[in-house]
Amino acid sequence: MGTAKILIVDDELIMRESLAGWLERDGHRVDKAPSGEVALEMLEKTRYDILLLDIKMDGMSGLEVLKRVHENDPHVAVVMITAYGSVSTAIEAMKSGAFDYLMKPFDPSELGLLIEKIIDRQARDLETLFLKEEYRERTRFESMLGQSRAMQEVFNLIEDVATTDSTILITGETGTGKGLAAKAIHSKSPRCGGPFVAVNCGAFPEHLLESELFGHQKGAFTDAKTSKKGRLELAHDGTLFLDEIGEISMRMQIDLLRVMEDRIFYRVGGTQPIEADFRVIAATNKDLAQAIRDRTFRQDLFYRLNVISFVMPPLRDRKEDIPILAEHFLRRFSQESNKNIDKISREAMDEMMLYEWPGNVRELENAIERAVVVGKGRTVQPEDLPIFSPEHRTMPVDKSLQEIEKTHILTILEENDWNIKKSADILQIDRSTLYSKIKRYGIRRPD
Amino acid sequence: MNTQPAHTIILSPIEALDRVLVDRIRGELTKVFGFPVKIMPLLDDLTFALDRQRRQYHSTLILEVLDREAPPDALKILGVTGQDLFIPILTHVYGEAHLGGRASIISLNRLKEHTGSGSPEKEYHERAVKEAIHELGHTFNLRHCKDPACIMHYCHSVADVDRKSDHLCRYCRTLLKDEIERLTGR
Repeated sequence: MGTAKILIVDDELIMRESLAGWLERDGHRVDKAPSGEVALEMLEKTRYDILLLDIKMDGMSGLEVLKRVHENDPHVAVVMITAYGSVSTAIEAMKSGAFDYLMKPFDPSELGLLIEKIIDRQARDLETLFLKEEYRERTRFESMLGQSRAMQEVFNLIEDVATTDSTILITGETGTGKGLAAKAIHSKSPRCGGPFVAVNCGAFPEHLLESELFGHQKGAFTDAKTSKKGRLELAHDGTLFLDEIGEISMRMQIDLLRVMEDRIFYRVGGTQPIEADFRVIAATNKDLAQAIRDRTFRQDLFYRLNVISFVMPPLRDRKEDIPILAEHFLRRFSQESNKNIDKISREAMDEMMLYEWPGNVRELENAIERAVVVGKGRTVQPEDLPIFSPEHRTMPVDKSLQEIEKTHILTILEENDWNIKKSADILQIDRSTLYSKIKRYGIRRPD
Repeated sequence: MNTQPAHTIILSPIEALDRVLVDRIRGELTKVFGFPVKIMPLLDDLTFALDRQRRQYHSTLILEVLDREAPPDALKILGVTGQDLFIPILTHVYGEAHLGGRASIISLNRLKEHTGSGSPEKEYHERAVKEAIHELGHTFNLRHCKDPACIMHYCHSVADVDRKSDHLCRYCRTLLKDEIERLTGR
């Protein structure tokens, strides 16, 4: 069973506490609100998967809370909790969009099964979106460029480590080219004739990642109609690149540790041990030392991964590389779009040199792509780089909060190549909230 | 003054219980958790936790008293009672535990239902041992496990309890080892 973020709304302390304690043992993350008013405040700041909502409370009633919750986020599953004798109100709540209701005191198995059902349904909805994202992931970052000292050091390191077969951990901010460095190591290594298999660990929910990495046997779970090889098997004789390694669950960390120790694993639902010979390169933008202190990342796995490590420098620390990168992207995008744009004006270049590039090379790449699309002449001008032009630096005064939110989400998604995990991190919301907002605003990724 | 050695698990029968069963639970807990288990009655009357209307005992209140009454250097406590337990929101519970805390309790009340073809006593004892390890496992910060064969799997019925094994899956074993290392500083 998966886990969920649950908010319990009940004005009786003893009910909140006993239910929270029970659900925490299932591994759910649980918050509690003593009233509908407090719950709505909490929902402004945090997105919950499930709301367990008492119908009869002092102050705002459960039905009123249900209505307000669904106005803001129709994807939260609301389960009404009702006392004996108020079933008719519960049925009314179901008509208003509640997922189900429970009559207290309820049977523990009834609660468990209902939560399981909700999680399954929500996972199926997310799965479709995650898979689409994975298949569409663009790999435009095809070459590494840089004359700066920082990048020269990276190139030397890559040359040195490529010939070894050691595990490598690449750290660095989002958009600095960690995946590209991994590919470069693979292409210069004795394994270059084998496959380079990349897995974005942050893009999958736990149960999908397990099947993605280890594969599954036919019938291992409901949707496993056929047996499928995992990426570990596919990486045989080559390199397995585990991107966003800091995002994997504790269970997956235990599995990965075992694989790294003996290179033997089992498909989900399988009983035959499978051996595969691959080199592991992992990458993260997370502070794993802090994650170890927070007990969200295993120290033993960290030691296994961190045999050789290096940091990809942020673009702001190698600004001398901006012209060469910008011109490279300009050539590529003007060719791709059949537009005759072949120069960057001094003013536009000055703007780019002054900017801090929090999204690093990927943000620069996106900015040039946009400039090529909107540019009218043969030369990129500052106004073609909309994020730098003065009118876009101030907030528009004639737009609603929702319009501004939609535009901002779209900008962040585009700057991060539609990587949901990274975009959600920057926006400081969780992935499911981001998915929910994408759906709500009808934001679509251009094909 | 109590001189319990550190890292001792207290097994606390509440009321007079089958001695053979208590000894068996003690042996299995020692095997699974690797700490000495001492039998020490901490409570003999549960009236304070009785809900007269429901005719059941509020397990959360019992946990608080077990925690308070146990020697300060007891690592973990497992209470065992024949009474039916509840928490206010649920109809009943097989047991309750402070997740990552000290105290846990199991009820034998609903484990007696004979469903198999073998010896009823054997069946009952096996369930009791599994529930004891399960609840004590929670105090070692183990959460419910999705593997139906793992002892930390949550069971909806005694039939589910019968189906699960009497050992931890490899994930839960690793997590338990981590927690023990953290507790003992090993």
